[in-house]
Amino acid sequence: MSLSRREFLKSSAAASAAAAVGMSVPAELEAAASQAEGDWRWDKAACRFCGTGCGIMMATKNGKIVAVKGDPAAPVNRGLNCIKGYFNAKIMYGADRLTQPLLRVGADGKFDKKGKFVSVSWERAFDEMEVNIRKALKHGGPESVAVFASGQYTIMEGYAAQKMMKAGFRSNAIDPNARHCMASAVVGFYQTFGVDEPSGCYDDIELTDTIVSWGSNMAEMHPILWSRVTDRKLSDPEKVKVISIQTYTHRTSDLADTEIIFSPNTDTALWNYVAREIVMRDEKEGIIDWDFVKKHMIFAAGPVNIGYGMRRAGEKSISPVNADGSAGNYSALEMQTINKEMKTTVSAKEGPALEPFGYKAGDTMKHTGGTLGHWEISFEDYKKSLEPYDLHYTATIVKGNPDENLESFKEKLQELANLYIEKGRKVVSFWTMGMNQHTRGTWTNTLAYNVHFMLNKQARPGNGAFSLTGQPSACGTAREVGTFTHRLPADMMVKNPKHRAMAEKKWMIPAKTLNGVGKQHIMKIHRDIEDGLIKFAWVNVCNAYQDSASASHWIKAAREMDNFIVTSDGYPGISAKVSDLILPSAMMYEKWGAYGNAERRTQHWRQQVVPVGDSMSDTWQWVELSKRFTVKDLWGSYEPSGPRKKALPSVIAQAKAMGYSENTTMYEILFANKIAKSYKLDQKDPIQTGYDNSEGYGDSRNVVGSDGEVFNGYGFFIQKYLWEEYASFTRGHGHDLAPFDMYHKVRGLKWPVVDGKETAWRFNAKYDPYAAKATEKTGNSHAFYGTLAKALQSGNLTGKDKTTKKKSLANKAKIFARPYMDPPEMPDANYDTWLCTGRVLEHWHSGTMTMRVPELFRAVPEALCYMHPADAKAKGLKQGGLAWVESRRGKVKARVETRGRNRPPRGLVFVPWFDEKVFINKVCLDATCPMSKQNDFKKCAVKIYKA
Amino acid sequence: MKAMSKITIGLVAAALLMVGCVGESAKASSKTGASNIVTEASLGLRKTDLYTEDSTTASKTEYRTAQAMGSTKIKRAFQDAPPMIPHDTTGMLPIKIGDNRCLSCHLPKVASGVGATPIPVSHFTNFRPHNIIKNGMFKKEVDNYKNEVSIKETTHLQGARFNCTQCHAPQSQGNLAVENTFEAVYLQKDGAEKSRWSGTSLTESLDTIKGGANYITPEDIANANSPAGASIWTHH
Repeated sequence: MSLSRREFLKSSAAASAAAAVGMSVPAELEAAASQAEGDWRWDKAACRFCGTGCGIMMATKNGKIVAVKGDPAAPVNRGLNCIKGYFNAKIMYGADRLTQPLLRVGADGKFDKKGKFVSVSWERAFDEMEVNIRKALKHGGPESVAVFASGQYTIMEGYAAQKMMKAGFRSNAIDPNARHCMASAVVGFYQTFGVDEPSGCYDDIELTDTIVSWGSNMAEMHPILWSRVTDRKLSDPEKVKVISIQTYTHRTSDLADTEIIFSPNTDTALWNYVAREIVMRDEKEGIIDWDFVKKHMIFAAGPVNIGYGMRRAGEKSISPVNADGSAGNYSALEMQTINKEMKTTVSAKEGPALEPFGYKAGDTMKHTGGTLGHWEISFEDYKKSLEPYDLHYTATIVKGNPDENLESFKEKLQELANLYIEKGRKVVSFWTMGMNQHTRGTWTNTLAYNVHFMLNKQARPGNGAFSLTGQPSACGTAREVGTFTHRLPADMMVKNPKHRAMAEKKWMIPAKTLNGVGKQHIMKIHRDIEDGLIKFAWVNVCNAYQDSASASHWIKAAREMDNFIVTSDGYPGISAKVSDLILPSAMMYEKWGAYGNAERRTQHWRQQVVPVGDSMSDTWQWVELSKRFTVKDLWGSYEPSGPRKKALPSVIAQAKAMGYSENTTMYEILFANKIAKSYKLDQKDPIQTGYDNSEGYGDSRNVVGSDGEVFNGYGFFIQKYLWEEYASFTRGHGHDLAPFDMYHKVRGLKWPVVDGKETAWRFNAKYDPYAAKATEKTGNSHAFYGTLAKALQSGNLTGKDKTTKKKSLANKAKIFARPYMDPPEMPDANYDTWLCTGRVLEHWHSGTMTMRVPELFRAVPEALCYMHPADAKAKGLKQGGLAWVESRRGKVKARVETRGRNRPPRGLVFVPWFDEKVFINKVCLDATCPMSKQNDFKKCAVKIYKA
Repeated sequence: MKAMSKITIGLVAAALLMVGCVGESAKASSKTGASNIVTEASLGLRKTDLYTEDSTTASKTEYRTAQAMGSTKIKRAFQDAPPMIPHDTTGMLPIKIGDNRCLSCHLPKVASGVGATPIPVSHFTNFRPHNIIKNGMFKKEVDNYKNEVSIKETTHLQGARFNCTQCHAPQSQGNLAVENTFEAVYLQKDGAEKSRWSGTSLTESLDTIKGGANYITPEDIANANSPAGASIWTHH
């Protein structure tokens, strides 16, 4: 809220009145009183946008943000921000901020799905949510109550949301938009290391000699990391090499020594080519560090006929199948692609790569649903899997620019392999969405580690395969907190009874409260709404109806089916528009929070200003909702439902034995228990002095809360409580987070933080105390101490030998044999062009914040269709003219750009997804990596014609 | 004084009410439910039908066509905000190693002569500590646990600032999608035209904790009095 001069005078009066009777005053008033003297209050904070996690210094005056500058003390960005980073100053001040709850009602004032929105009180909003959650629970149990969660939640919000969902509602139907952005990286980490998150840190950039960007436009998507790369390159231009491996030319290539344009999906083949060079030349040249490999590695394989993560035959919305090829809600055209989920014909392109796995071109491959299963194989088998990737085959299928000469392309591939192999040359491989949004994304992630492992160029300063995260807290919140359907905090799994028991104990809830089936990932939530299983869904800190492929299906299901969709947001985006209830959320700097970035760095900030209108934080919204449900409402028994084939038992009797009554609310158990209340609000605490805490104290707006009364705060330091409780899962478990106060004193710390010290290179005994401990006896250089899937049976490339016993792989990592495979939809005669979608520098995700900042909007006011001039000419399109971009699923209009920052080869177009008016996700396909369930937004087939 | 009590806030709220508080009447009406009607189409940036694309066209990009020498500078959005590009950039981009055409006019020694905004001293300042590997171990130049900085003014443009378009962008001329109510406040008279970020102002206000240590203390690490924070793994 801004304090105008008139309001300021009022606050001064209040402040002196309060002071006269010897009371403390709310921080906002105190701050306002001193700032009338022209002071600016500077404080540290984190940037709201990408996964880089830059530190900013933010100035407030009279309760409003007035400036942002780069923080010279922040190790990530040292005094520099990108254009979005600076304009954090303006992101909360768009004129159409949501200020009150909005509900669709009919003429009688009652909720009506077809009604118009009217503003309602928070009390009415929670009444409607309560009624509809009860209805959903009755319909299909906990599996019918869902949350679209976020990698942009603060850590405290994410923790509160997943605690209420999993412990309160006993529902695992909570999954973040990070599923769309990082899931393949995560499964890659789990499969390879047995624990999530990268081994390296950003200091690698200054220490390395070679930066290889795999399908990542770092120059626009991680601009500050790219500025560090640029600085490194310019500091030693001869020695430092930058290689840009992309499906189209863009700003990252502009700085590169060598650019490799590859055909979409064939990065999988390219990684295998580099590995083949290492393995085949090893005998002569002694390339592999066998001592390292023998001590730390095993080789592994898994099934290849795992589908593409699309809907499978028999699912409700694609039944019945009709004579014309259409099925259920899906057209015959859509089904052309979806049918490949069950069966494909091995193509000439993928045939050679699949031969070691028992398939050849022309074979029918029957697919079963994606599995995480894998088994140990011999090095000889791994070597066999690499044989097909000789230079000729690789170059032929990988070359993505039809106008490029094959022979000179081959030279670039050789150069790439040689740079990796060169003794003593340090190499960092970076990637983000290109390798993750991929129907074989998990595989491709694991292939990156193969190359670095064999060369002993992983988890060492200046060396490593480094998965960059997309969102500001995809690592810190979505992944580490466990807002995924299958996860609990700190890498614990809902499937694991021991992990559930530990969480239940910590949360002071009865044994067997937690639901052990977590399969409702984000695409499954959309599909379960369309199938009628999910009846209540809540969109938190994301834009699920703009950010999901095959968007028309999910929007139709939200608007036309019997369900209740709620969106909490700062601004009205597409998700808000298609919802039944819209809740106004406090934004980033209107609340206390913390994010965790791509180098495992956690950064906290304080509430800088009071929120606008009646908006309140997502933490508050979850905590208020928890007041509406009691032990007897939620903890009875539930029949099997959806993916859960067994009943959930009643735990009400056990709850009573613990001292709760049937009428104890979830608020009292999960959020305002005795321990929580021990975290005191204290204006003498230097961390809190002078800062608002709208959840703790309420604030000067006197927002009328969920019970119809003015909200006067919880009376305890709820953010600190949530932080500390969450951290208890991480401490002593390889994910250690530091005490709350420490983060307010420094510019972030990289977990694990042990005895007050952060960890720079994980798994490396010199830098990681966990690795040091694990190698005490062996004296090994590294310990890959993750514990997931660390006991395997054995087999070969075509299958597991079921008679073998599981062997322990403690402290070892895995090198996987994984072939190139085609994506399920590729250009053909009718849909002749690849469509790739993604971001641009100036806009964040769906643009709800950045499109409301004048400088960012004016920099890029529209999503353009970037294409090759020859393609435009051949299709009769003009620079700046409108074109239809049409797939089997839908079409959008966009202006043609043939000479912009993105310069595709013939046969590919790039259309970013930030623009509501160029709703490209209506065109994109909801195929996923079947192991990670991450959507492939980078590949589908379209036709383009004049609009 | 410990936690602010409910009563205290209540009293302050009462004080606010005594001098009159805006928004009270609005709150009273919202408490009972319905007030103003909002259509789905009126919400958000896209005012057209969401269910078909026939009548929807993106906002058109119309960058300024003024040439570099003849363009009018755009005011900085707030104190020390990166200035936006007021001129046509055709033929100037992309920026490549050895080919950064922005520098040909904006380097300070050239800028005044051609009327261009000179690149400020912050861009010639190296903020990144020089960390090295010494005796096989990574060694930092400054102590991050004490928020130390490393700031060295140099005579050459810093590599980290080489990608001009990372912060500076051309501006389209059409209507905004939505107005923005941010109000700039400048610390100096010509703040809308000039950077003041140099010298002592670079490290101004970096100590953000008032009345306590701006570094980690043994007490912080000990984390006593945090009953929720004890590791759940110590018993396993």
